[in-house]
Amino acid sequence: MSLWKLEWIRLFRTKRWIALLGVYVFFGLVGPLTARYISEILESFGGGVQVVVPEPVAADGIASYVSNATQIGLLVSVGVAAAALAFDAKPQMGIFLRTRVANVRDIIGPRYLVITAAVAAAFALGSVAALYESTVLMGSLPFGGWLLGTLLGCLYLAFASAVVAAVAGKTQSVLVTSIVTIGILLVLPIIGIAPEIGEWLPSHLVGAIDSLVRGGAVSDYLGATAVTIALTFGALGLAVRWAEQREL
Amino acid sequence: MIRTFGLSKNYGPTPALDDVDLNVTPGSIYGLVGPNGAGKTTLLGVLSGLRTATAGSMEIGTERIAMLPDTPHFDPWLTAREVVDLARALGSRPGAESRVDELLELTGIADAADRAVGGFSRGMLQRLGLAATLVGDPDLVLLDEPCSALDPLGRREVLDLIARLRGEATVVFSSHILADVQEVCDTVGILRQGRLLFEGSLGELLVGNAVPRYLIRLRAPLDPVVAGLRQLDWIRDVAVLDPEQIRVTANSLDEAEARLVPALANSGAYVVSLAPEAASLEDVFLEVVA
Repeated sequence: MSLWKLEWIRLFRTKRWIALLGVYVFFGLVGPLTARYISEILESFGGGVQVVVPEPVAADGIASYVSNATQIGLLVSVGVAAAALAFDAKPQMGIFLRTRVANVRDIIGPRYLVITAAVAAAFALGSVAALYESTVLMGSLPFGGWLLGTLLGCLYLAFASAVVAAVAGKTQSVLVTSIVTIGILLVLPIIGIAPEIGEWLPSHLVGAIDSLVRGGAVSDYLGATAVTIALTFGALGLAVRWAEQREL
Repeated sequence: MIRTFGLSKNYGPTPALDDVDLNVTPGSIYGLVGPNGAGKTTLLGVLSGLRTATAGSMEIGTERIAMLPDTPHFDPWLTAREVVDLARALGSRPGAESRVDELLELTGIADAADRAVGGFSRGMLQRLGLAATLVGDPDLVLLDEPCSALDPLGRREVLDLIARLRGEATVVFSSHILADVQEVCDTVGILRQGRLLFEGSLGELLVGNAVPRYLIRLRAPLDPVVAGLRQLDWIRDVAVLDPEQIRVTANSLDEAEARLVPALANSGAYVVSLAPEAASLEDVFLEVVA
């Protein structure tokens, strides 16, 4: 039994993989449906009022998926990551691990990478579902733009998991770690309202897939990609440093 | 194996450890006793590297340290065998996988080896924690109240297991159960309010720190003898236990040995028997921390 295997077992025995996969794939399937039939849905609830919406295009299916995935999906992802990365939440468990590894990096590394891989895989599978259904219902999408956009979405989720790791290094509790992380991730788009700042922030990557399948330029995301990678490594560095400083 | 020099640890303004000079010899079993809040857990935490001392220094002759907290906790969805196997794999000298089953057997949880530990009682978790602690064959074993949740049979097994480590590993264990310490420890350290009040062998502790008491059986009448002894300034107390027996507490062992027999003779006592009362660790502990 290694710490890597421990994390995979954690993911499967706690059924957290179902939560991750369920939420992303669900929105991957439902998002394009709602985009395609939004007019009919609104009319059925409108009490006879006629609602006029633009004719949906395939990219709207992706946009609908991203919109839901970055809200509900992100909440679930942060919760699952916090449950794994706040390993000192029960100090006795922290003692068991910390007294058996040379460096706390050995604990954080497998937990971060496994949970990030799981979250990214769930997001990507949801994106595949959204691509398939959008294509069937509304027409084809540029595969290159979709693929790149999905990868940038995964990068954003890797950043979110790194923030969870860093916050867990300070706050210890799973609940507080989740709340503080969500707070940080919500503040970023608010800061990014100013366009000259926003295009450099990790939150800029959230909408990348929507923009890229509509023919947006890849170059619009280079700055945010570089900053997100740097911040991810920075957050992981802080996670290790803060976890090392903690006393149990 | 362990030497500390003026080790101190403060939590805010409150000192948890105060100028502790600990000396644990390799291969010994060291018992750390003290009342609640004495600093035992903090001291074990500092020795294991989980906490940082505010002042002082320490020398620990190994990096292969394993610590068992008083209430071990593991991921509830792991089986007992997986917990011990994880501990084995993480050890700096991972032994054979057969060692896992061996430790599960020794700690008495082999029957529950494939059960998820989430349903374990506290006593079973303590046994599992001990198995996970010992599976890596550590050089230094730090045990925080290892028997606190065990039934008498479990306590017996764990104490036997600890005793078997003598010479193979150095063990420091804290306990409220003084009889356990008296049974398995070579050396005892008494902590109170973060200060190490005594450190030495059990023999030194019991002889050097016990107030000398003697049980004396006399032929009646006792009253003139008791009255005569109570007038002597080197005698602290004379208690009548029954119509034929008294307990005399002296201020010091030297005075008692030199002057008790002549004092009895001078008081006209008819002495049937006289014997020192064996001091228990509990008696001595209470004397030292009082």
